[in-house]
Amino acid sequence: MENTKILTINWGKINPLKIGDYLAVGGYLALKKFVSEMKPDEAIEEIVASKLSGRGGAGYATGEKLKMVAESESHEKYFICNLDESEPGTYKDRMIADNNPQLLLEGIIIAALSIGAHKAYIYINGNYEKQKETLETARAQAHKKNFLGAGILGSAYDLDVEIFSGAGAYICGEETALINSIEGKRGEPRLRPPFPTEAGLFGKPTAVNNAETIANIPWIILNGGKKYAKIGASCSPGMKLYILGGSVKKPGVVEAPTGVTIRELVDDFGGGVTPGRDFWFAQIGGASGRLVLEKELDMPLTFSRDCQIPLGSGSILVVDKMANISDLILSWTEFFRRESCGKCVPCREGTFRLHEIALRLQDGEISERDKVAIKDILWTLESTTFCPLGRFAATAMRDAVEKLNLLDK
Amino acid sequence: MQIKINKKEYEANENETVLDVCRREGVRIPTLCSFGKFKREAVCRLCLVEVNKSGRLVTSCTTKVAGGMEVETENENIQKARAINLELLWSDHAGKCVKCKKNRKCELQTLAEEYKIENFHFVPRRGEMTNAEENELLRDNWSRVVVDEKNPVVERDSQYCVECRRCINICPIKSYGFNHRAGDSVVGTPYNQPLDCIFCGACVKYCPTGALIDQGDINKIITDLDDGKLLSVAIVDAAVLESVGMELNGVKTVENLAGNLRSLGFEKVFDLSWGFQKYVEAVAEEIHPHHTGKKNPAKQRKFISSFCPSAELYIKKYFPELVKNIIDVKRPEEIMAEAVKKEYAKKEKINPKNIRVMLVSACTARKKLKDESIDHILTVRELGRIAREKKIEGVRFAGSVPDKFMNGANVKYAELHKYGKLSQLLTEKIKGDLVIGAANGVLEIENALNAELKKEKLHDFLEVMVCPGGCEKGGGQSMKI
Ligand SMILES: Cc1cc2nc3c(=O)[nH]c(=O)nc-3n(C[C@H](O)[C@H](O)[C@H](O)COP(=O)(O)O)c2cc1C
Ligand code: SF4
Ligand code: FES
Repeated sequence: MENTKILTINWGKINPLKIGDYLAVGGYLALKKFVSEMKPDEAIEEIVASKLSGRGGAGYATGEKLKMVAESESHEKYFICNLDESEPGTYKDRMIADNNPQLLLEGIIIAALSIGAHKAYIYINGNYEKQKETLETARAQAHKKNFLGAGILGSAYDLDVEIFSGAGAYICGEETALINSIEGKRGEPRLRPPFPTEAGLFGKPTAVNNAETIANIPWIILNGGKKYAKIGASCSPGMKLYILGGSVKKPGVVEAPTGVTIRELVDDFGGGVTPGRDFWFAQIGGASGRLVLEKELDMPLTFSRDCQIPLGSGSILVVDKMANISDLILSWTEFFRRESCGKCVPCREGTFRLHEIALRLQDGEISERDKVAIKDILWTLESTTFCPLGRFAATAMRDAVEKLNLLDK
Repeated sequence: MQIKINKKEYEANENETVLDVCRREGVRIPTLCSFGKFKREAVCRLCLVEVNKSGRLVTSCTTKVAGGMEVETENENIQKARAINLELLWSDHAGKCVKCKKNRKCELQTLAEEYKIENFHFVPRRGEMTNAEENELLRDNWSRVVVDEKNPVVERDSQYCVECRRCINICPIKSYGFNHRAGDSVVGTPYNQPLDCIFCGACVKYCPTGALIDQGDINKIITDLDDGKLLSVAIVDAAVLESVGMELNGVKTVENLAGNLRSLGFEKVFDLSWGFQKYVEAVAEEIHPHHTGKKNPAKQRKFISSFCPSAELYIKKYFPELVKNIIDVKRPEEIMAEAVKKEYAKKEKINPKNIRVMLVSACTARKKLKDESIDHILTVRELGRIAREKKIEGVRFAGSVPDKFMNGANVKYAELHKYGKLSQLLTEKIKGDLVIGAANGVLEIENALNAELKKEKLHDFLEVMVCPGGCEKGGGQSMKI
């Protein structure tokens, strides 16, 4: 069971620019099954049964989300594939688009049709120019084969997919900011409620899902939700892409079930820590990720709320003892000082000031006043910001303070 | 429904937010972004409260009430959150108050006092800085400060901005928005062009800090007032009584205002009623010669009121094809200022060059279309600034009355600044079968003018006022802080 590969199975084996290659390995069988044998709600039930949860970070149950939009009365609905991926050190969604764009498209088509949408968007990070081209090619080919467009595979289903390029802002990965961006507004989060599932894109019910989440859907439709639910950790089952980076022997994207431990990922998949280096800590989930010490490496990674280390984007950055903590802090704070949307006071001002202190720290001196300020700012970022980005901006620094005793020097 | 706030029961209505109930019941909650009926942006993060002992802080401005809810508006965490967020804002303002034109009328300053924000961990990141190292550190922030002094009405200096979004929401023609992001965010105009609007002044009125203030040379005005060789004449639009008490402590009546103006250095104080009366007469003549009620077909149809200069600017900008239909009559203050410099000067044997006519008005847009006979136009806020500068902030004057101008005006013209008054007076004055209408607020004006263009409803006279509620709610009024 643990050897099942769902997402990466055909990577490197098929030519991403040839739909024929994808068809030859069983591509679009799920869509055919969906169109000919299933009602939309049956497909959604399979996804519910699979217990698939969002791979965009929050881990929300995908089936439940699709169900909410499917059950709303509106005639106009939208499905959005979130391919904004701008978490530092994270490039799994890009790899999906690079290596198997048709798998992603097939997932998008099934999900969109199952909720009753006639239009789907792929919101792609503006820096992913090559991937946008790949996806455009894939879309044109799928269209030609009638997997898209009017009367899909002879059915009454219609679907148009638009690839929308963002400007590469981190906040535009947050679903309501993403929706604003497609609508031509400033990329900043919206107040909720209403949630996108009630009033999203152009005020219509909208389901937003991460690209990796969506890429699981064809497998679930073909093999059944129950079977998927048996893979990996029972609280949030399935296969997951992990991005190994930093001081590991074999960096890169690997597919492994949920519930693996960080140690397994680093040692078994990554070949261990780079020879000659000493493990210091690992950061899980990008610049907004938590820091994990040696003694915590045996914790299994899941999307469950009880999981102490949020899996986030799935990136695992191994940091060895040669690293300079003030360089790291500078790079985190620089990132958020640039990527905060600037809408709310604590995040706009707080990220700015943290960066200012990080610059002083790198120069080798921070005052007692700065130390108090760090504590205050981290606290307000965690407790008072408009959207989760503020909290993200505090996570790594908080762990540096508490686990690496940053302020005790 | 019943909700509990700080252990006390209150009646609350469905769809109200916790902040609505608190404001209604006088429970103090500090806010910078929520105001009036405008969109709740929830960006200042000061109105935080705790609901049902959840241990989490939520913004009261967006949290809807629910039956049985228990709200706490003060506790250690709430206090801490407000203090930190205020301090983060304040660090950008610390040390700037003394030279700021909003000094003592600034909401941020008031809050900083209330929450005793006195430790500055940081140096301001915007505005002038002298230390070379700091310059280096903060170099890229400087570009974010947008100063716009060219505008005749609104002076903008974004170093005082707290990004509360009030101006963005209040502006009837949506002049403002956010430029850039994160710490570089700056509220401004598209591509940072100089503000080109209809100058209604609402943004200045609602701005909590000194980022948007009245354009005007207060020092020049004070010099003129103090110059013994000059006769300083105040023409007072009684609309200012609506808010002048907030600037001149407790002033509520024309008499009291007249006394205060005299103590500020005005030699003569005239009520604008005289100008109002002349204006109504001229307009009536323009619509229907000799008030016969018979329309004059030979004439170009003139039906749009010229009273509100902001409306005139609005029409120029968005309905240029209707500019020809604006009634060609000087505005009340223009008629009156001209009379001061001509008839009055002659009568009193004063050289007009030695007269300074200053309009005290609730309108900012008048500055944009200033008549040459008027030397200065003062909003209520500027009057307050002069008073603070001169340290005369409201004295009770019994028995002071405005000076009589020429042969005086009929009292029924005293309140032309009230929305609807002009059309009412014209209806009384002109007999006949007339279509007289009124529209206030940009939305109503737009609808009325569109109806005109589509010939759905043709007016003989249309009163238009940009400030919803007329000059009493004008952009030059002062706001409670
Ligand atoms: C600041 C911020 C950045 C985010 N960036 C991304 C992103 O780059 N990609 C993504 O899929 N989800 C991102 N999300 C999560 C989305 O808001 C949303 O939850 C997700 O797209 C839902 O898809 P899922 O349920 O399949 O995970 C971000 C959230 C926040 C708060
Ligand atoms: S926390 Fe505030 S400033 Fe930061 S991204 Fe969210 S809304 Fe924007
Ligand atoms: S008043 Fe609620 S966040 Fe500003």
